[in-house]
Amino acid sequence: MKLRILFVLVAAASLWACQPEINEFEPTKGSADFSVYMSAGNSLTAGYAGGALYRSGQENSYTAILAKQFEAVGRQGAFKIPYINTEDGIGIQGATLRTKLVMGYSTDCQGNTSLAPVPANPNASQQELAILLGTSVAADGPFHNIGVAGAKITHLLAPGYASLNPFYARFASDPANAVINEIGQIQPTFFTLWIGNNDVLTFALAGGAADEITAVETFAASLEAIIMTFKASATAGAIANIPNITDIPYFTTVPYNPIVLQDQTLVDQLNAGYAQYNAAMEQFGLPHRISFTMGANPMVIQDPTIPTPPGYEMLRFRQISEAELVLLSIPQDSLKCGFWGSMKPVPGQFVLTMDEKSEIEAAIIAYNQIIESAAQNNDLALVDMNSVLKQGSTTGIKMDGVLFTADFVTGNAFSTDGVHLTPQGNALAANTFIDAINKKYNARVPKVNVADYEAVRLP
Amino acid sequence: MRKQFIITTMLVMGLLTLHAGGYQVRLQSNRSTGMGLTGTAVQMGATSMFYNPGALAMMQSKTDFALGASGIISRISFQKSESDLIAETDNSMSTPFYFYGAGKLNDKWSVGLAVYTPYGSSSKWKDDWAGKLLIQNIALQAIFFQPTVAYKISDKLGIGAGLVYATGKVELQKGLNYGPESYVTLEGSTSNIGFNAGVYYNASEKLSLGLNYRSEVMMEIKGGDAGFNVPAAVEANIPSKNKFDAALPMPANLDVGVSYQATEKLLLSAEINYVMWSSYKELEFKFEEKGELLNSKNQRDYKDTFIPRIGAEYVYSELFTFRIGGYYDPSPTNEKYFTPETVSLNNLAFTLGLSITPTENLSIDLSYLQINGLQATKTYEPDQFGGTYKTAAYIPGIGVSYRF
Repeated sequence: MKLRILFVLVAAASLWACQPEINEFEPTKGSADFSVYMSAGNSLTAGYAGGALYRSGQENSYTAILAKQFEAVGRQGAFKIPYINTEDGIGIQGATLRTKLVMGYSTDCQGNTSLAPVPANPNASQQELAILLGTSVAADGPFHNIGVAGAKITHLLAPGYASLNPFYARFASDPANAVINEIGQIQPTFFTLWIGNNDVLTFALAGGAADEITAVETFAASLEAIIMTFKASATAGAIANIPNITDIPYFTTVPYNPIVLQDQTLVDQLNAGYAQYNAAMEQFGLPHRISFTMGANPMVIQDPTIPTPPGYEMLRFRQISEAELVLLSIPQDSLKCGFWGSMKPVPGQFVLTMDEKSEIEAAIIAYNQIIESAAQNNDLALVDMNSVLKQGSTTGIKMDGVLFTADFVTGNAFSTDGVHLTPQGNALAANTFIDAINKKYNARVPKVNVADYEAVRLP
Repeated sequence: MRKQFIITTMLVMGLLTLHAGGYQVRLQSNRSTGMGLTGTAVQMGATSMFYNPGALAMMQSKTDFALGASGIISRISFQKSESDLIAETDNSMSTPFYFYGAGKLNDKWSVGLAVYTPYGSSSKWKDDWAGKLLIQNIALQAIFFQPTVAYKISDKLGIGAGLVYATGKVELQKGLNYGPESYVTLEGSTSNIGFNAGVYYNASEKLSLGLNYRSEVMMEIKGGDAGFNVPAAVEANIPSKNKFDAALPMPANLDVGVSYQATEKLLLSAEINYVMWSSYKELEFKFEEKGELLNSKNQRDYKDTFIPRIGAEYVYSELFTFRIGGYYDPSPTNEKYFTPETVSLNNLAFTLGLSITPTENLSIDLSYLQINGLQATKTYEPDQFGGTYKTAAYIPGIGVSYRF
């Protein structure tokens, strides 16, 4: 009886019980017109991740995220992305093609198996990948996201760039076009631009051994030209600056001193082996000395800038200093089993020396000044990605319960290639864009919940 | 006699656990619930064992039993800051209950046993909601067993005290940032002791005063079960099965109340509850394995609160007694550490009550409580997760009391 009454009461109360309503956020466009949004840039803009271009990476690029968020403030129609028809992805490494890197298990030369980035499909044939990459999707265009993997700022302005870069060729509306010629076909009212990373990164990724940093004057003129092209139709936009790339995991993951010696005999042998080198350096009046002790030792690297006298070029190597950087691309098996760094100097392409690092950092400072004044002069929102990476690599960034750092794999922001962003990292980038846009245009574009996106997926 | 019977009935109603700030629930009597959850300065027969054991000394009948329950239908809405994302809880109904049995040994001494549920909280968010890395669902439950003794010093003054044996359990689940299927579940139970003591004073024919103190009960979980659902690659660092220790205070309460028999038919009641939430400083988890990686200290820094309450009871006829009341229960939470695991806002509540007394011995007590959590924008700073919260709880209750 009593229970029955309780049930009746509860049933009555359930009908009465309504969900409280909250409406605290009214999306507003402010002084910007988001109706047609277009984005340009490099691999980060394209949604390249894990060393490859693949469908879900493109879907989770910061620019695809922005396009979705802009719907709340008036963006119309489809946001066309030149999707590639593969989830395994296609990346270019040197002269070969490979699928994206996923976390998996690999066995090293010593027989130890550990978690590491491995190709999603190690059996994919070069021909198969080349066909996928070479398939043009231009007929589905024109596209709203014209980010091109590998593009430098000057490339966006180069007619016929498609012949040099298959990532552009696959969606170029005309092979004779420059990338910026795609802009006129869309007539955007709002644009985002994040370009310039490759102008230093390509040099850095080669360990400073190939390519060169784009000259500052060229950078400034190119940026102006790209912005002008957008401004033919757009009345508002956002431009992101360049993070200090030497803080990304690609350059910070491998320690400078990975040569771990646990055998005094080997230590003695190595020191004896370098005795002649040390004597020669002393004779030349050069400061370099090589010595090994038990425990962790700095690796020996090639350094062609050491001014040894003519005839002694073969002595142009030294031990790396703590402030210098080792690239993620260094073959681990050569370090572990091939005596790299101890008996054999590590080739310069796997190392950024102090000089190279300073050169890169100076270029980024100069580029960022140019980007900042371009944003001011053209009344654009400035997106300070440089500060975001700086904060990530020092204190870390907490957002929606996610801790972002600049650590490889575990830092949530960077994908398995140590350069490009995870979906979660892209969500962080998108929120950074939205903050800058909202501030500049007095708009209220809704931010995304970064916890809704994935970090590096583990097996 | 009849009035006292009604009063007792009301007391019984008050036993239902009330949903209050933090995770305290004061629904220990449907009669009290109807009167704004007051009861410290009201003679409520056996029910007084919770609200003020001192008032038990004044019980009129020889034997008094009360039994009741409430159904808490609670709704939480959330809108993420700077976003149009909306989330709502899908809470199942929680049902705090009470049982009291008391008898007079002689003119001076009364004894009894109270069983009630003064703390509890239950929130079930969707597994993929915006704050999934903070909490997905949580259920806290505590049952208190309180043998009680009361002594009537004079016709005006009664004192009483009870020893509390408390059992509690907690279950929670939160997401981990290893993909959509990654989460941790924590489950543990524990018991501890405390006490409840009070003084009741009939200042005049019409005016009564009450003072009651319920001690803090620290719920310390030792060796609770932790289950981590993570990718295999992570299991070397985060074992899938683990044990944890944690402690959660059930804070002390100091209640001061006054009641006034305005007319033969109308009783007015008012009181202040001082809830010592400040003992809830942090929620710390210590794990048996991989503690260096998994242990966490999560600041809460609650502050003490004062809850003012008023209530009234009107005896309409021999058969019907009506009640009404209300209170304001401010949030004990800290501005910086407001988490969706316990969404505790400033609450404004009103109550209604009805007793049906078909015979002198029996009373059926109905109550209804509605709590409106006032909309507020809050952040949990350590996780940089914030938004606007608004809550509502709809709580019908029913109890019976029987005395002879």
